[in-house]
Amino acid sequence: MTDSRGDAVTDSRGDAVTDRRGDGRSATRVMVVDDHPIWRDGVARDLGERGFEVVATAVDGAAALRIIAAVRPDVVLMDLHFGSAGPSGADTTRCIIDRWPDIKVLVLSASGAHADVLAAVQGGASGYLMKSASLDELVDAVRRTAEGDAVFTAGLAGLLLGEYRRMALDRERDAPRLTERETEVLRQVAIGHTARQIAEALVISHRTVENHVQSTLRKLQLHNRVELARYAIEHGLTQ
Amino acid sequence: MAAGTTDIMTPLWRGVVVFRAITAAFAIIAITVHHDGFARPVLGWVALAGIAVWTVLICLAYSYDPTRRLQMIVIDLLVTLTLMGSSALVLSTEQLTEVAQRTPLLTTVWASGPVVAAAVHSGRVAGALFGVAVAVVDVWARGFFTIDLARDAILLVGTGFVLGLAATAARRASEQLRRLTRAEAATAERERLARSIHDSVVQVLARVRARADQLDGEAGELARLAGEQEIALRCLFAATPPGATGEQDLAGALRLLASSRVEVSVPATAVPLPTADVDELVAVTREALANTARHGGPEAKSWVLVEDLGAEVVLTVRDDGPGVDSGQLVGAQCAGRMGVSGSIRGRVADLGATLTLDTGPGRGTEWEVRLARARPGVAR
Repeated sequence: MTDSRGDAVTDSRGDAVTDRRGDGRSATRVMVVDDHPIWRDGVARDLGERGFEVVATAVDGAAALRIIAAVRPDVVLMDLHFGSAGPSGADTTRCIIDRWPDIKVLVLSASGAHADVLAAVQGGASGYLMKSASLDELVDAVRRTAEGDAVFTAGLAGLLLGEYRRMALDRERDAPRLTERETEVLRQVAIGHTARQIAEALVISHRTVENHVQSTLRKLQLHNRVELARYAIEHGLTQ
Repeated sequence: MAAGTTDIMTPLWRGVVVFRAITAAFAIIAITVHHDGFARPVLGWVALAGIAVWTVLICLAYSYDPTRRLQMIVIDLLVTLTLMGSSALVLSTEQLTEVAQRTPLLTTVWASGPVVAAAVHSGRVAGALFGVAVAVVDVWARGFFTIDLARDAILLVGTGFVLGLAATAARRASEQLRRLTRAEAATAERERLARSIHDSVVQVLARVRARADQLDGEAGELARLAGEQEIALRCLFAATPPGATGEQDLAGALRLLASSRVEVSVPATAVPLPTADVDELVAVTREALANTARHGGPEAKSWVLVEDLGAEVVLTVRDDGPGVDSGQLVGAQCAGRMGVSGSIRGRVADLGATLTLDTGPGRGTEWEVRLARARPGVAR
């Protein structure tokens, strides 16, 4: 697997289906979608060394959608920007979550393009990690994503807070609102407090903190789906 | 004169030249018509020739020399006034005094040429002053003052003033357009560069950074340094440059401060504030971060959070360092040692914002700055 840019357009030579079943059935199955070879192969190797089963890599969203049904990963590590034309990381995330709701998508982005990260999260991604995160952080994030938790970084909390506030300021129709408690929890996450610290400060259980955090994400994703459906009906896009 | 302003000024100067030529033709016809009554007919022909030659020369000069126009306009004014003043010698006493019958001076409307040129070149003040000069010579040549001459004077001065206003406005509009065009081109180029660098350098650096914690010794240190560059590059391209509106995106400006020890959380949409306010808030954040770096120990991390509540913007800077006993802070201020607390307080007070400091031994330090905004939710 060498460079990807040309391959991604002409053919998907970068899509390597590595099925290593037999010895690692119980391992979390991961698919890595990234147009940059250094990342794609490096992350795949790192995760493989840490006991994950990297079942496939893809050079872009289109390639990922072609092979995902065949490889059925538990977690997709999704880059947001691909050099090729075709669906972006956010679009691909939406497609995957729509068709295979049990597959989890974790966005791994190098870009500071916050609007794209937000779009991916609204489209159903379980969380996002900067590419500059350490391997330990990445491993932890993939594990938690596989378990169904949201990977909540300070950056993501700031993004969600911003989005809820934007919807409130724009008086968006039927926009979800945060409860005071949820706002407080999100703010605490955004300034670097751990779930344990927040639980102590607010005198609630660790699980309750997690629930609040998950709820802020779910409400936003649900709202996004409702908005898309309404848009489709209003514009006659439904079958 | 800059290239962009010549673009808009060229048609104006063309107008000056055409106006000069038409008024010259009118003056020549007027002199021919009134020639019979002249006191000094020969001098009349000389003046006619002077008007014709000077018109050709000055029109050529205005058309082809875009650099030394101020001197040319002054010379133009002097030549025109001389020709105008010569009317006192050429015209007969009857012609000079019978203003009601309207025997014009030799130069007639041609004399307004320098007024128009000065207005186009230097604006309303120059236009009006040149108008005054021509009006004064007009009155001097006649040797008396009537309501008709007053009307001519007002027309001259008014024309210079209004045309000067228009020329200045046109020049400003053209400069603004040029600035906007350039800013747009710069933005497009920046986006192109950002895409290209994101697809290459940033990816590699991010990868190096992600591996840093598995490498020991110098290799690990180098990898960490490379990682810092990745954050710096990414933030550099994410930040928006100050716009032409005098507003800047606080979120973009603060993201430049991100590093491996500083995490910056911002909304996905811009947080526009006046550029001066953004500069001050960034300075406040820098001071708080520097304070953490000084007193928080090598492992202390900081978080910066920006929230846009519409009517106000909230900036929170927190670290997980050892924190400070609030008594110590007050003590430091009372002892006259301003320190970081005083400096931040001063800046925040100058901004008209409110500051809350939450700290205590073992609790880290949290600064919260709330800045009220006059116009909520612009540039969304």
